[in-house]
Amino acid sequence: MTSMDGVPDPTAGAGSPPATAPATHLDGGLVRRWIAELAQRLRAAEARLTELDAAIGDADHGTNMTRGARAAMAALAEHDEDTAAARLVAAVGHSLSRSVGGASGPLYGTWFNALGRSLPPELPATAMELATALGAALDAVQQLGAAELGDKTMVDALAPAARQAREVAGSGADLAGMLRIAAGAAEDGAVATIPLRARRGRASYLGARSEGHQDPGATSAAIVLDALRDAADA
Amino acid sequence: MIQSVDRAVAVLLELQGARRLRLTELANRLSLPNSTVHGIVATLVTRGMVEQAASGRYALGPGVLRLSNVYLDSNELRLRALSWTEALAERSGCAVRVGVPLERDIVVIHHVLRPDGSHQMREIGIDIPAHGTALGKAVLAFDARRAEELLAAAPLPKLTGRTCVDGEELAEQLARVRDDGIATALDEAILGESEVAAPIFDAHDAVVGAVGIVLSSSAATGDRLINDEVRRTAVSISRELGASAWPPRSRPRTSAGS
Repeated sequence: MTSMDGVPDPTAGAGSPPATAPATHLDGGLVRRWIAELAQRLRAAEARLTELDAAIGDADHGTNMTRGARAAMAALAEHDEDTAAARLVAAVGHSLSRSVGGASGPLYGTWFNALGRSLPPELPATAMELATALGAALDAVQQLGAAELGDKTMVDALAPAARQAREVAGSGADLAGMLRIAAGAAEDGAVATIPLRARRGRASYLGARSEGHQDPGATSAAIVLDALRDAADA
Repeated sequence: MIQSVDRAVAVLLELQGARRLRLTELANRLSLPNSTVHGIVATLVTRGMVEQAASGRYALGPGVLRLSNVYLDSNELRLRALSWTEALAERSGCAVRVGVPLERDIVVIHHVLRPDGSHQMREIGIDIPAHGTALGKAVLAFDARRAEELLAAAPLPKLTGRTCVDGEELAEQLARVRDDGIATALDEAILGESEVAAPIFDAHDAVVGAVGIVLSSSAATGDRLINDEVRRTAVSISRELGASAWPPRSRPRTSAGS
């Protein structure tokens, strides 16, 4: 493997693929890589999500999310290679609403759907456009579930992620850099749910017993953003 | 109202909410002097209603569990509902709940699991704001005093984005419940969950609670057969409790307290 001026590239092993640069825009290809990465991570996390949900719920979050990932992949397969990011993301949202039960289906379906509807319809999205769309998706989820920060839900991961994405995109961060910050904020937000008392969903029926457990919805939301970050980082 | 008894109950309710509290935290929450609260707590500890952990903090004691067990075992509504709710769960394939009103909530006093062998949370003892649950609407529709009190507190808290929090809208819903005796709630307490419920009346012809099924919102099609099953169950339980008709044609024959 030689670099552009003919000098052999010492960092590339013989026969290794060309190093790719991080994505600068959210396009259809990145959406597909995101969902593929997400499906893989959710399968790997299924047992953990199940365990978290068994502590404060019906123990079905793991299987719900895996089922959702399968449905999302199937939905993407129905679209042409050159389909725009916005349409693919919205299609993922519809598939989740249809195929995943409980609260996760409507919530993630709404999040992806609103995200897709907020992205530029045909062109790849910039970091700023994605940050704005993350805000719109959060708003839609809060409309549906009436959850606020601190209620021990996915909002505890998604809200800090959206806020920090907007901040760093506004200061000129590139897509990959913004997603690294956003995913980190989501992860921290998920961990921060541990001491909280649940005020939404079935976990709220447990009252004080819901304290001391990480919220499964916030955990999976962090996984969703982790997957996007990794897909963009290439 | 006997002040010391009222304060003792207040101590128990604070411990129910916060789980574990130091004496000073309790006194703070109740706006009472430490010495006053100490006397109350010491009495409750002697009676086993409160216990003190090694950390020094206070919590509810085993005496409270004994009381609640006896409540369940001797509650006539619950006892009369046992076999009817079992049958309703089997016929509907849904989880079944029986609830009674307590202040602005419904407390679930009986719960039959969804008969599909799945892992489910036990719901006996949970309380849900009445306006967000079909059980609550079923009760409120026939308990004018309680409904009036609740509607005066509008706008009511939102449990989900779909919870009805507007007093007028809720009043309209309650009027429709009086038409056919069926109350519904769609994604109004828990996203993804819907309910169908009907009121239960006692020998005073007063509404004492409600029975309802819980189903996933995707399966909630407004099926009239399901509504009929729920209604039949409520009628059967009410008959066993001595209600003269369902729903009763007249006001409660005597004041039923509550």
